[in-house]
Amino acid sequence: MLRRRPQLLWLLVPYVLYLGALPFVNRVRPVVLGLPFLFFWLLGATVLTPVAVWLTRRGDRR
Amino acid sequence: MNAAVATSVFGVFMVATVALGLLAVRGRRGGGGLAEWSVGGRSLGTVFIWVLMAGEGYTSFSYLGAAGWGYNYGAPVLYVVAYMSCGYAVGYVVGPMLWAYARKHGLVGITDMVAHRFGRPWLGALVAVLATVFLLPYIQLQITGMGVVVSTISYGAISLNWAYFIAFAVTTGFVVVSGLRGSAWVSVLKDLLVIVTLGFLAIYVPVHYFDGYGPFLDRLVTEKSEWLTFPGHGDSGLGQAWFITTSFLNSLTVVIFPTTVAGYLGARNADVLRRNAMWLPAYNVLLFVPMLLGMAALFVVPGLVGAESNLALFKLVTDSLPAWSVGIIGVAAALSSIVPMAVFMLVIGTMWGRSVLSLVPRWERRQKGAAQLVVVVAGSLALLLTYTAPNTLVRLSLISYEGMAQLLPMVLLGLMWRRLTLLGAMSGLVVGVGVVCGFVFMENDPVWGVNAGIVALAANLAVALVVTYAGPRERDERPDDEVLARDEWEADREVVNVR
Repeated sequence: MLRRRPQLLWLLVPYVLYLGALPFVNRVRPVVLGLPFLFFWLLGATVLTPVAVWLTRRGDRR
Repeated sequence: MNAAVATSVFGVFMVATVALGLLAVRGRRGGGGLAEWSVGGRSLGTVFIWVLMAGEGYTSFSYLGAAGWGYNYGAPVLYVVAYMSCGYAVGYVVGPMLWAYARKHGLVGITDMVAHRFGRPWLGALVAVLATVFLLPYIQLQITGMGVVVSTISYGAISLNWAYFIAFAVTTGFVVVSGLRGSAWVSVLKDLLVIVTLGFLAIYVPVHYFDGYGPFLDRLVTEKSEWLTFPGHGDSGLGQAWFITTSFLNSLTVVIFPTTVAGYLGARNADVLRRNAMWLPAYNVLLFVPMLLGMAALFVVPGLVGAESNLALFKLVTDSLPAWSVGIIGVAAALSSIVPMAVFMLVIGTMWGRSVLSLVPRWERRQKGAAQLVVVVAGSLALLLTYTAPNTLVRLSLISYEGMAQLLPMVLLGLMWRRLTLLGAMSGLVVGVGVVCGFVFMENDPVWGVNAGIVALAANLAVALVVTYAGPRERDERPDDEVLARDEWEADREVVNVR
């Protein structure tokens, strides 16, 4: 499955952003755009997840 | 006076909801049957599936529970966003796979799939019973959530206990008449209301109480920084390890959650699901709003404890807004209960109709009627649980997920790996469910800082593998193609070529 569709690896991006990176982003400061850092990071991850899925889909449609 | 205004706004919308549900199924009577009622005749397009699945994901739990946990603990509540986003990504692969499998073999849910995979009808019945047990807390959660809403917008005129009953009655009536198609229609109404009301609150609350976002967030950072990182406020035991394990477990569980699968199977084609996997995570941005509002409530209505925290958001609303808008926000929150609850009940009805009642020949002819009866019974049970075993909203949803997760090896691994034997899958399931019950009932969850469900799943998987390899090989004459779900992308291509 993965050998034929390596683009599926993009789907790991949300796991890395939300879960893998957690120990490094579990902090209040620096405050970005008024948001505590942890919240800023997770909001960013939420925005990037559709992009990751889109990249998979783009790979699939080739 | 306030109560009368808010309650009438609410009542009008409830009637409209049921009417919309009826309208949706009008003209489709004759061809009805179980498949139309349960999976919308497999004909729903991208937009309907999007609203339906977003609707399921965005329940009263997200509206009230998220605010409640934000209020109680802070950061740990973000697990909801994390698991939903990851789950949608996984759904990109699994959704079309399950869709194609169900389509090929004419199946309507995971219980059918399991029965087909292992060639044992009774296994479907067993999984149906088990899944029902694990769905009940989720229905209870929705009843509790909607009850809280009804009681709050009537400014206490309707007591909580009556409010629970109203929640149960409206939803059960709705689901019996409307089915999945009706739920999808009402989902559209609900999503509009949710987006509008949350968007409004997101701006209004900080401006009204804190003179804008800047000052609100500043106060949050300086005064409540304990809420802003893991493990959150208080002695929650909800640290990083808990967050990571829970999000991981739930992200896998959500793709086989019977209600999610109902959404998958309603799709017109597999590509609808892939497009959805792309758009659904964007909806999660909205979830940050109730969480932040829950924390805003810390400053405005301090001192809510335990299950009272579910009211955090609504206390803000009733405190600062006129009655009619309280009514509208109440409707949005109530529909956030009704839509998911309707889908849950529908799924229970379908599972029973298809996998349990069909084993009794006498009932087979009347599958749809019998399924609807089961819905009423399940709803009543959940109502009973609401009265006898109340719990905070988040806890209920966790129990549901931890239990349902134990079906992962049997369903997902089973569909991808031929060697897995029935004996292996069953042994794993028994051990997994046993461990979950043990931890939950002895109130040992989280256990050693991690989600108890994942510990149980590990045991489940280990047992399944050991028994499969050590036990007797299974004899099943059917070719792999008949039994396994295929990499759906290739299957899809073939269909296109044949055309």
